[in-house]
Amino acid sequence: MDASLTRSIFDVLSVTSILVLLVMGMAVIVGMMKVFNLCQGEFVLLGALTAYLTYEIFGSVLLGILLAPIMVGAFGLLLERTVIHRFYANPQGALLATFAVGLIIREGLRTTMSTQASPVPAPISSSWVIFGATLPVWRIVIMAVTVALLIVAAVILIKTSVGLRVRATLNNPELASASGVSRKWMYAWTYATGSALAGFAGAMIVPLQTLYPNLGFDNLITMFIAVMVGGLGSFAAPVVGAVAIAVPGSIMSILINPVTAQILIVLCAIVFMRLRPNGLLKSGM
Amino acid sequence: MKRKSMTVGSRGALRSVALLATVGLVLAGCSSSDTASETEAEATATQSETTEAAAEEEVDTSPIKVGVLTDLTGAFGIVGQSNQAVAQFTIDEINANGGILGRPVELVIVDSASDPAVGAQVASKLVNEDQVDVVIGGVASNMREAIKDIIATRGNTPYIWPASYEGNECTPNVWNVGAVPNQQVDPVVNRLLAEGKKTFFLTGNDYLYPRSVLAQVRKVVEAGGGEVVGEEYVPLDITDTSTLVSKVLASNADVLFEIIVLPATAPFIQGVVDGGFEGEIVGTLFDEAINGIIGTQADGLLGIQDYFATIDDTFSRDKVAEFAAAYPDEAGLFSATFNAPAWYRGLYLWKTAVEAAGTTDAAEVEKTMDSASYDALIGGPASMVPGTRHAQLTMYLGQMNADGSVTIIESLGSVVPEQCG
Repeated sequence: MDASLTRSIFDVLSVTSILVLLVMGMAVIVGMMKVFNLCQGEFVLLGALTAYLTYEIFGSVLLGILLAPIMVGAFGLLLERTVIHRFYANPQGALLATFAVGLIIREGLRTTMSTQASPVPAPISSSWVIFGATLPVWRIVIMAVTVALLIVAAVILIKTSVGLRVRATLNNPELASASGVSRKWMYAWTYATGSALAGFAGAMIVPLQTLYPNLGFDNLITMFIAVMVGGLGSFAAPVVGAVAIAVPGSIMSILINPVTAQILIVLCAIVFMRLRPNGLLKSGM
Repeated sequence: MKRKSMTVGSRGALRSVALLATVGLVLAGCSSSDTASETEAEATATQSETTEAAAEEEVDTSPIKVGVLTDLTGAFGIVGQSNQAVAQFTIDEINANGGILGRPVELVIVDSASDPAVGAQVASKLVNEDQVDVVIGGVASNMREAIKDIIATRGNTPYIWPASYEGNECTPNVWNVGAVPNQQVDPVVNRLLAEGKKTFFLTGNDYLYPRSVLAQVRKVVEAGGGEVVGEEYVPLDITDTSTLVSKVLASNADVLFEIIVLPATAPFIQGVVDGGFEGEIVGTLFDEAINGIIGTQADGLLGIQDYFATIDDTFSRDKVAEFAAAYPDEAGLFSATFNAPAWYRGLYLWKTAVEAAGTTDAAEVEKTMDSASYDALIGGPASMVPGTRHAQLTMYLGQMNADGSVTIIESLGSVVPEQCG
């Protein structure tokens, strides 16, 4: 295998794993809870910011990666109890409210930052040479972590009683609360979990994308397309959606060019959603 | 020249009913101008002879007004802070040396907030309410496009565009004092070709500036017997540059000429450098500031600018040291990519033109600015090339070092802009 083909395959895997990692939080909040959470991108941004701050203050990005899910998860919990829970019966309201929250975070950071973009180094900056291609180790770490997280999420949702309660509450809130599950806290913790996953993803990817106010927003569109293509109502569908757009997207980027690829992907997604409005997977775990 | 711009101005005003209010303001300024100062008359005076005669008879000591329009807030806020400080520094210096035509100079500073719509409003305020004698400013080209007609055409006020940009701005009353693509591209590409580097990979974001600069690169490379082995554009909101990095690495080009703007700059260049790219990496946006963005991977990048902090020019070094002492908070913001030398240059070239004309009258300055020339400038002497509305500039090729300093590889001498001709 020659170096350039190795790099191409690696790029496809890397781009896909990054999108899957980013979409996991969204799969919980948009996929499972069906809250159209327009500040999902800003959760990613807050995670990235955490990594940047721990790097600036303590000199450690790794610390930020560990702290990001806790900080952003706590923020998500607070947000759910103060704002989001008021809008479960009013999706349009949720759309506006979450957009506003995102706007405040994004523009707040823009006015605070003294530069347009701040780099954050990867915790592991070395490269491996595989088939003559020099491949950054941090991207390999992201692939491994993404796969591990997917397995953990699947096990929790399918095998544990917590997973059962979550699925029960989201599928039939009335019956679940009649069976003794606290609907209020189940929603709050689920939302917090989705936030924590997004924050973790943000801290993981910021070394590859630099910290800038639109970091979350620029990723949000692709994340939403992934959810729409995959379908609502489950955790698995958005993840499948992410793979379904990242793989052809990165292949087109390689074979044609990134500008055309971006347009074609959105075009394909629109046509696909017209043909299959419920997405690739209708329901699942 | 004056008649021509007057005609354009009145046609522009008649085009839209919404402009009636503006016309009213200008007329109001006109009626009070014959007693106050000749500056107010410039916008709408119908008989310049009368104004000039009046100016000769009485000695005018009213302040000359310089409008400063820049992005003090928003995405380009940091550049605007630098611009504002440089403008203030330059005008303080001019005033300390007796002002212009014996008149003091005062600044009217407005914030265009990195938003062309806001820029259009504040440009209109500068021209119609403050009735400034000249406007200098703008950071990005979309800002220039939004304000130039308001200032230069409808407002009939000289407008100095102090930024290196893609070129082709030839509107009357607009003066371009930053570098255009051929000034940044030609010397370095010819030098690389002469060194035996024949294959070039060109890449940038998908908008006008990178496309214009890289078109010039392609032209010079092909004329000089080199070969463009790849040319690729990426969206401005690209989040992952890995596929582009792979294409650059696969090309094995001798030279990567790149104009990838923030925020993708660092990930892209880090990817290319860490991936083992062995050719030269050249760009029009590299100067001392790039280290803060890219980190140690900036080591070895080649940049072409009208100024670097390390150029061998005592005047520039002394002036920048004076600036740093006067504006300690902005000391680190005096750089070529923040247009700092161009702001200093633009204000002095305009001062020279006003002194040659003996008046701030737009029509007279339009004639004298055409060949304005000044030597005591940061970065070296500059002169407007008659008939081109652009400036001949001293350019430098610098190599970025890991510690953030720049080693001057070559002083490229005075380079003529190929514009508006």
